[in-house]
Amino acid sequence: MSVTDATIALFLENAAKSAAVVHRAAGAAKLRSILSEIVAQDADVFCPCVTELEQAAAAGGVRLVPGYASARVTVEEVSAAIAETGSIVCTSSGGKAVQASLLPAHHVALVPRDRIFATLDDYFAGQAAAPPTNLTIITGPSRTADIELNLVIGVHGPERLDIIVV
Amino acid sequence: MNRQTSLDFRTNAASAIKDAALRKAMRNATDTFGTKRTVAMESVDFSALREKASAIRMEVLDNLPAYIAHFTTQATQAGANVHRAADAAAANSIIADILRSNNVRMVAKGKSMISEETHLNAHLEKEGFEIVETDLGEYIIQLEGETPSHIIVPAIHKNRQQVGRLFADRLGVDYSEDPQVLTKIARRVLREKFLTADAGISGANFALADSGSLVIFTNEGNGRMVTSVPPLHIAILSIEKILPSLADLPTFMRLLPRSATGQMITSYVSILTGNRKAGDATGARELHIVLLDNGRSGILKGDCREILKCIRCGACMNVCPVYRTVGGHAYGWTYPGPMGIVLTTLLTGMAASHPLVDASTLCGACNDACPVKVPLQEMILRQRIRRVSEGFSPASVSMGMHLFGLAVKSPLLFSTGERLAGRFWSVLRSAGGENVAGRLPLPTKLPFSRRMP
Repeated sequence: MSVTDATIALFLENAAKSAAVVHRAAGAAKLRSILSEIVAQDADVFCPCVTELEQAAAAGGVRLVPGYASARVTVEEVSAAIAETGSIVCTSSGGKAVQASLLPAHHVALVPRDRIFATLDDYFAGQAAAPPTNLTIITGPSRTADIELNLVIGVHGPERLDIIVV
Repeated sequence: MNRQTSLDFRTNAASAIKDAALRKAMRNATDTFGTKRTVAMESVDFSALREKASAIRMEVLDNLPAYIAHFTTQATQAGANVHRAADAAAANSIIADILRSNNVRMVAKGKSMISEETHLNAHLEKEGFEIVETDLGEYIIQLEGETPSHIIVPAIHKNRQQVGRLFADRLGVDYSEDPQVLTKIARRVLREKFLTADAGISGANFALADSGSLVIFTNEGNGRMVTSVPPLHIAILSIEKILPSLADLPTFMRLLPRSATGQMITSYVSILTGNRKAGDATGARELHIVLLDNGRSGILKGDCREILKCIRCGACMNVCPVYRTVGGHAYGWTYPGPMGIVLTTLLTGMAASHPLVDASTLCGACNDACPVKVPLQEMILRQRIRRVSEGFSPASVSMGMHLFGLAVKSPLLFSTGERLAGRFWSVLRSAGGENVAGRLPLPTKLPFSRRMP
């Protein structure tokens, strides 16, 4: 799949509108330098370290912990991204724990550029008829406006979402 | 709590109108949502989208039994246990049985209007289970012992000072009226509940027939928590929430959040298919889906069947001049605003709800706002006709209409009436004052018979 620069730009623009913090990294070195800026050195980081991108990210001197439940930060490669809505997609395919993008206060999503779809329809058209047990489309950090419609970022899910397009 | 007070709509509305804090909160909420909705719709072709959405919803309603059967087969194949509940009592007892057989003590609950409709919490608490609402708004009203006043933002009738005092009283925290601080308190208290709950109960915005999936739109993340952290997940939804397939979802992902809160999309859209399977690290180990009818099959056969297209976005209430003034509690049952008038009179019967049919100016703003083209205005009118035919009109109105009927049948009586009205108008005005005279039309100078060609 060839993803145009316009699609990537639209994805980053819409993701930023949803209060996610967006970055672009040309390669592993840049990815690690971004991580070192956004993740504190003493923070407990969960990273599945399964994909090449995740391994590259984890090699950057972050303090890794084995489980997401007690981690402050999750760094993981996500399944896809959608430009139309500025969303990332996390799924349970391949034995991934989707809660890793929910419980820690800070979620860092690594998005390979060729996994960015232009529209929701484009994304769903490529999905198998039987979806994985859990497929979650995430747009920005968790939020509420339940008290006087005052927007508060960070309720039960992450308080901060960083998206790095690699 | 939870007693239906729709018959007291006029009294409820009159006291709501005198509540300045409520009026201010309602104005703030409905104005904000209205403006944000208008802005959000600029990025899509609203009229094309709602045509499409309406057609998809009608397709499901026209073939509902087949869609329910298909959904049930697919969800079962994915590992869910699907239950059918004919009414609220059946749904509540099915859920209590599941909890009991799993030795559940505490339940973390996501927002569900259907569970409000069945009074699920009250039932389960009576059976000895601890139920914790985890949506911030629902948590606030649960602490206060109230019901939702809006289907999207349930605690919209409370201001920050009231929430601050409530938290200080009930949670033993320092008083704060900063929504930021209050939200973080709820995050801390409820995180503990998510991690220790024996079961999660949620609603669902949609169910997908082709894949047997549940779809849940949330912003806070509590919906994700209750459906994936506890080992047992029970979802309760009404039978008409089905969409044919995943391919239909984008249309509703574009319409529902925009119509509800003016967001392009909610923070989370979860598509849950069956329970945790071998090799999965996510999902409840046991998933139960309770499909509630509670009168919907009956509505489907009648002339207001299109109300079942409703996707519960709340847009009709936000634009309704009556709802905006009196708020949700005045309607006295689960669903307020225009869709609430129709659904309440249909589901609970005219005898328990007939004053609600007056809670509309028939201005049609709801029709224009509805993302699935439910003809609310026409349905409210139809329910007004039904109120008369079922004999629930106020006695004075029936008597007046009866007398008018006699008069129009007799030209003599009619013109006598006109002459009497002209003669006694000044007497009536000085005796009754503006309150009486102001409500009556001025007497005609020229009798009706002479105005006819």
